[in-house]
Amino acid sequence: MSKFFSSPVLVFSSAIALRIGLFFYGLWQDANSPMKYTDIDYYVFTDAARFTAHGHSPYDRETYRYTPLLAWMLLPTAWSSTWFSFGKVLFAVGDIVAGALIVLVLRNGEGKMSMESALKFASIWLLNPMVATISTRGSSEGLLGVIVVALLWAITQKRIVLAGFLLGFGVHFKIYPFIYAPSIIWWLDDEQLGRSKSSKDTDIISHIKNFFNGPRITLTISSLLTFLSLNTLMYTIYGYPFLQHTYLHHVSRIDHRHNFSPYNTLLYLSSSITTPSTSIKLESLAFTPQLFLSAVALPLLLAKKDLASTMLAQTFAFVTFNKVCTSQYFLWYTIFLPFYLPRSTLLSRPYLGLSAAALWVITQAMWLQQGFQLEFLGQNTFVPGLWLSSLGFFGVNCWILGIICGDVGVGKEDETRGVPKSVVEKPSSATEKGKTSVKDGEKKKGKGKKVRSGWDDITLCR
Amino acid sequence: MRQRITYLQEPNDAVDPKNLQVTNNSISTKELKAAREERITFGFDELPQELYTVLKASHELHIRWARERAYESIAPLVSRLSPGLHVFYTPQRGSKSSDLLCPILEKVFGGNVSCKSPETSFTILPTERFSHSAATQFYTPLASLDDFRDYLAYKLCPVSDSACQSRVSSLSKAASLDISFDTISHAFTLSAFFPSTISSLAISKPKTSSPSRLEVGILNHEKATDIEELSMAGFLTVIGENTKPSPTLFSFPSRHHPSTEWFSSKFLLPTGLHPNLELSISGSQPPLDDRSCSLHAHITLPRQVFADKYQLSDPLFLASKNLTAVRYITSPVDLEAPAYTMDIWGSSVLLELAPPSSSKSEAFTAQVPLHLRYLEPNAGKGGLEQTEIPYPVLFWACTADEGSKFPINPFDRVNLGYDGLFGPRTLFFHLSPTPSIGEERLTNKLEVPVLDLDKSSLIEIGTAAVVGLGFLWVLWVLVGVWRRSGYGSRTVVEKEKKSQ
Repeated sequence: MSKFFSSPVLVFSSAIALRIGLFFYGLWQDANSPMKYTDIDYYVFTDAARFTAHGHSPYDRETYRYTPLLAWMLLPTAWSSTWFSFGKVLFAVGDIVAGALIVLVLRNGEGKMSMESALKFASIWLLNPMVATISTRGSSEGLLGVIVVALLWAITQKRIVLAGFLLGFGVHFKIYPFIYAPSIIWWLDDEQLGRSKSSKDTDIISHIKNFFNGPRITLTISSLLTFLSLNTLMYTIYGYPFLQHTYLHHVSRIDHRHNFSPYNTLLYLSSSITTPSTSIKLESLAFTPQLFLSAVALPLLLAKKDLASTMLAQTFAFVTFNKVCTSQYFLWYTIFLPFYLPRSTLLSRPYLGLSAAALWVITQAMWLQQGFQLEFLGQNTFVPGLWLSSLGFFGVNCWILGIICGDVGVGKEDETRGVPKSVVEKPSSATEKGKTSVKDGEKKKGKGKKVRSGWDDITLCR
Repeated sequence: MRQRITYLQEPNDAVDPKNLQVTNNSISTKELKAAREERITFGFDELPQELYTVLKASHELHIRWARERAYESIAPLVSRLSPGLHVFYTPQRGSKSSDLLCPILEKVFGGNVSCKSPETSFTILPTERFSHSAATQFYTPLASLDDFRDYLAYKLCPVSDSACQSRVSSLSKAASLDISFDTISHAFTLSAFFPSTISSLAISKPKTSSPSRLEVGILNHEKATDIEELSMAGFLTVIGENTKPSPTLFSFPSRHHPSTEWFSSKFLLPTGLHPNLELSISGSQPPLDDRSCSLHAHITLPRQVFADKYQLSDPLFLASKNLTAVRYITSPVDLEAPAYTMDIWGSSVLLELAPPSSSKSEAFTAQVPLHLRYLEPNAGKGGLEQTEIPYPVLFWACTADEGSKFPINPFDRVNLGYDGLFGPRTLFFHLSPTPSIGEERLTNKLEVPVLDLDKSSLIEIGTAAVVGLGFLWVLWVLVGVWRRSGYGSRTVVEKEKKSQ
């Protein structure tokens, strides 16, 4: 097994083979079964691409709520029935590229991880059947993965303009990556740039001067420029429907069909109450904890300690506190797990990790069971079943988010630099290091398995 | 005002002309087993002012109603409609829709007609392909014509005129009602169909000063020589002009024909939030074998239920449900909004079914996958809401040779919602709707789970508390991080610690 993970060729060919297998299985199932392997969204994308190919607007396709870029990228799917699957290939290739970037970041990061460990952790993404299934079914979420991890790679390589471009592009594509802007900006300080603090001045003006360093300004300008020019271009071509469907829809949406979000039942209740005063209050309040955590508090306190893990915490917070939450959103943070897990207490304390994984799976399974009874058996499980299980799932997510924050706040350098034992209860002497990493490997495997069984449960509900 | 009353009989019930008494202003007989169609054509000056105002702004207005209780149709009046009130409306060219249409519909047919305005509540019908259909459509379930009957009695009948009152009140026995108006013929016609009963007949022409005509026919259908035609025989009398019934036999090409087959529909259990409507059809053979025929279902879906045209586009999926294709669906259909946030009435779907292609006729079923919207939360009902959709209309559509001659049929019926989706040269062979066992009404009921307000008092406070606690827990951890190591990087912290 260790031999397997020490060979990039083996890991990547397995990841590619997994996707090729699923891709052809999907073609077979689509051709032979009334139940389609292909994701419903893929038909939305390809219909939109067809509209675009014929000179129409992609928004002529109902429920197309993405940037026209996606429809443009999928233009080949309109060429012929063989090319129809082009998008799935594109998404799967994106997966693999994302996996390669994960390895690069792990290898070149501060830890300088060994190839074997890097491949093991990257396999959380590369060999994750959930990730491979989602992209080969034709969901574009994996594409976000590659954009976001490329952003991380670019910024750790100090390729500022490229990072700015990727950030602007990502926000244009799916809005939520805007939460990475404050963490990247905050992280990009003199220490990261390898400059010693120029002076010992502690007055406010020199602080402010120090803050506005070149890379920060370059990043801000390049990302804003990318975001604005893409939006201007799209607005010029497609007009108001572009704004409406890509952005405004997400603010004004009132479709609250049951999903994992803790707000779900509340939104159903408040949307039906005709007195507008209460409903407006509750809905606008919901943004507060979400944005405060993911865009302010987490970047500010954690970004300088460990950027990649902070991005995980931010994404996790964003998804947990979001007004809508479906299992595809879990992919948004899965991509960051390889950066956080190596030093997390979830792995160093197996019982904690296993309990977290088990609770995450159990509360989600409870919700799915209630959802199934409502959706397919017509039983009324809105209250208390669905409501309580979504709150339970939310609680577990908050608890895990707390663990992540705590870990990022302290644990990263403990092995090499020796943070006081009182903070992390873990033997960390240099002599035990080798042992620990072997043990870590085992735990990682366990974690991987547990997570996967959770994914399987989710795929049932999609 | 012109009136035409037609009694339609089965051939073996046909009346003996010796039993018909015709005087110079009446016709009567002791006993007659017949269905009846009454058709009244009004001049504009005979209409109530408020109705005239609406019509003046309309290019076309066709109102169709069918009752929920099953009834037997009789040739030549064999066309069917989904039970409920259907409105087909085209505003006057160049002007916008009338603001008065919805209020008058509510006034005439009762307060349950949930219609805001033609702009927000009506759906657009395709007019580019076939010009003979109205521009917009509206539907609402309507169990009875009682409100309409009261409106008519109040507006049309003088208080003293008991004959008028009793004719209007008989409307509560009608199985279907058609109101038609278009600017080209400039006629406002009201016709009602009453299924077969045995009763005495006594009609006399009221004495009015205005010119009027009353025509009474007693007809039974005969075997026609041409398959596209229907043939009627019997007696016609113009009251006040003829002194004895004049025997008649005439044939005409007909758009609508009866079929010997029948169907029923029901929701498969459990319905969940994605109910499947199952159509059970008694036979799979087309009515004509010398031309192309296909079996269609026209489904009228109030807003709480909808079909997803994208789901219904995959041939394999359709075939597994014994469907061939969606031939028409209202566009656009919102696939996400909850029912209580919508003003639009709903949607209609025309589906081509896929009967088994065996050489001999066999019964078969087809399933139509539908989806429910979220309905408004309720209280005191255990979190379940009863809702229903009307029975669909099923017919074989066959190509006709003589489509252009259909309008000469004195019983022709158009603007039914589905006829406009076909070319003018189409024959419709209607299957009889049969209620499911133990039911009288042609509706499909289903139970929809909704949020139970009786159990929801804690939702607001509970959600706020849990979200608040989760938020505070994360903040607590972050405060710990901040107090231990601030916001800087770890190396800085350590350096600082060392320097301390």
